[in-house]
Amino acid sequence: MEFSYEVKDSYAEVRADGRLNMVSAPKLREFVTDVIAGGSNRIVVNLENTAFMDSSGLGALIGCLKAARQAGGDLRIAAVQPQVNMVLKLTSMDKVLTAYSTAEEAFSND
Amino acid sequence: MTEILASRSFRGPAAEDAIEAVHNDLDSLWLDVPFVNDMDQMTFTTAVIESASNIVQHAQPAGDRDVELGVETTVQPALLQARVSAYHAKPPFGPMEPATPGEDAESGRGLALIEALVTTVTFERQDGTNTWVLSRTSSQD
Repeated sequence: MEFSYEVKDSYAEVRADGRLNMVSAPKLREFVTDVIAGGSNRIVVNLENTAFMDSSGLGALIGCLKAARQAGGDLRIAAVQPQVNMVLKLTSMDKVLTAYSTAEEAFSND
Repeated sequence: MTEILASRSFRGPAAEDAIEAVHNDLDSLWLDVPFVNDMDQMTFTTAVIESASNIVQHAQPAGDRDVELGVETTVQPALLQARVSAYHAKPPFGPMEPATPGEDAESGRGLALIEALVTTVTFERQDGTNTWVLSRTSSQD
């Protein structure tokens, strides 16, 4: 899995491309923690190219959400693909991790 | 007699590399059986990877030999089945019941997720090997 980020006007967009599994989940946590430490506390994780997520990946997203909130911000997810959406719904975590169609929409109303 | 339409078999050290190898095996398996619909492929793949990851993360060696992961997957006309094994492993520690972690918990959802993804999950313990048998009835539409 490859990570990248871009600081936009009102948020930082993190892209996670590949499989978000037990191998890559700790790396996502570390990557987002570094982005937050760099001064961004409003994070959008763009999952457009995340074709797979397991419970480890879900746990990492929850950890990132908590880190963003502890820094006074928030974390939202965007462009969720069908398998990731299935995992979110089966675990009822779609109510906790707010999904938006695009990264631009995620913080557009606040 | 059961008709096996396609199968894959993996065995190797229970390490991170094994997860990617098993996932690649599954991706290639679906190419052999395009009649298995996307939902069945997606759910079954997720269940198998969850189970294999559970072994890599939690299985403890029973003796001097390192734990090995084995994944045997078969596709029958209306059934997807995987035998996910931890070789040379101690019996699983603690309850094997799915947990209901709080919404801010970062772990503990794996077993519940597996149960939601497949039709049946059974556990076998034999000769120092723990095996989870995952079965999903394929809808074939």
